[in-house]
Amino acid sequence: MNFELINPQSFKELFLVLKKLKHRKYRYAAGCTDILIELKRNPEDDLTLVNLSQINDFKFRGISQTKNSVRLGAGVTANDIVRNLNIKLLYPVLWEAAYNLASTQIRQVATIGGNICTASPSGDITCALVSLDATCVIIGVHGKREIRIRDFFEGPRQTALKKGELLYEIIIPGNKKNTVKLFSSFIKIGTRRSMECSVVSIAYHIQIDGFNKILTSGFAIGAVAPTIRFTAKACDFINRKNINALTERDAESFALKVSEYSDPISDIRATRWYREKVLFNLSKSIIEDIIKCQIEVK
Amino acid sequence: MKNSDTGSFIVNFNLNGKDVKAEISASTLLLDLIRNTFNMKGTKPGCNEGECGACTVLINDVPVNSCLYLAANINGKTVTTIEGLSCNDGSLSAVQDSLVKNGAVQCGFCTSGMALCIKALMFEYENLVNSKLTGKKPKLTENDVKKWLEGNLCRCTGYVNIIKSALELINNVERKSG
Repeated sequence: MNFELINPQSFKELFLVLKKLKHRKYRYAAGCTDILIELKRNPEDDLTLVNLSQINDFKFRGISQTKNSVRLGAGVTANDIVRNLNIKLLYPVLWEAAYNLASTQIRQVATIGGNICTASPSGDITCALVSLDATCVIIGVHGKREIRIRDFFEGPRQTALKKGELLYEIIIPGNKKNTVKLFSSFIKIGTRRSMECSVVSIAYHIQIDGFNKILTSGFAIGAVAPTIRFTAKACDFINRKNINALTERDAESFALKVSEYSDPISDIRATRWYREKVLFNLSKSIIEDIIKCQIEVK
Repeated sequence: MKNSDTGSFIVNFNLNGKDVKAEISASTLLLDLIRNTFNMKGTKPGCNEGECGACTVLINDVPVNSCLYLAANINGKTVTTIEGLSCNDGSLSAVQDSLVKNGAVQCGFCTSGMALCIKALMFEYENLVNSKLTGKKPKLTENDVKKWLEGNLCRCTGYVNIIKSALELINNVERKSG
């Protein structure tokens, strides 16, 4: 493993560095929990790592709440999310994804920017952010732009980032004003509990008002397609429905609509058939649980 | 940190209570810096991929895999290795003592990482206790310990005695310290 390392201390310095590196091969490094493993296994020649972990920028490293959104800097670590009680309360799906990421040691350094930009089809935190319909704020030598996170991924390990750009922060829309109840969770099926790449992962965030109506819902699936996908049709199907009126049949239709977005591969972890079955059954059980929950309340 | 002519870096940090300085290259890992430059062999290279936790050290009191940590990022930070865990007079710390008493050490390869992780759990627990306004202390459960130690593999003990020693240590935290 051999590379050059540049440690910019501010974004101003970073952009100067990027201009100089215009014709060179470079990659960003933040928590380094992924890139160092990759480079140990497959060293790259003439590589420069641009180290983002010494950049002093409170927005890049912090979590802040505005009136109708929560902003997470791309340099926020998984453990920063785990420690944030506001996120635990407002977005259980994101909190659970962060809490179940890799291991205690990895969570201290792994950043959400890294989880997103690695663009793994099975990224845990990323899956949660897709279900929350988050927006990525990208900065670069040519300015700033925003893109919905569901459009950020172009394939496995491929993102919409262009040379000279980097992910700066993620904006999560606030929950609806009249939301009184959340069904929000992250489910990960793997062969063991820790340090595991999921076989199927599902992130969902469903907001319900005082009359048991589904105000809005977000549902994202991971490890079952080349990219993490937002299952818009399935969400549209349950949006604005009253959960008292949901039936077993609806649960099945919902799961079918989710499955339309999947296109899994067979690999060392699981076969295509298995992934499809698990995805269908899990999606169905989420709606069934919501139905059950309602009966119990009555 | 300065970029010198040779392309190497100088880092200043605190290692086990002492301020130290070292010259490193861009791709030096914290694990190699500790083992080779400072000749402290208690930090073990296991899988070298962040899976096993044998190389765990504490950076500013939180556990980190030193095999996946660029030494260039250690500037200005505080590092504790297993050598820094024992008391100044060379006697064992409460964590090590508890591991020994409970028979939680067999081949010993994972023990440095385990001990440091349990130490970090003690810090975490203290923070939790201090942040709670109610006087009653929350009791640490077996599952809490299992979750915390998920990044440390042990192929000998079956974990039972390791978990037992962590529980004993923390749930009686006012009797023993350190």
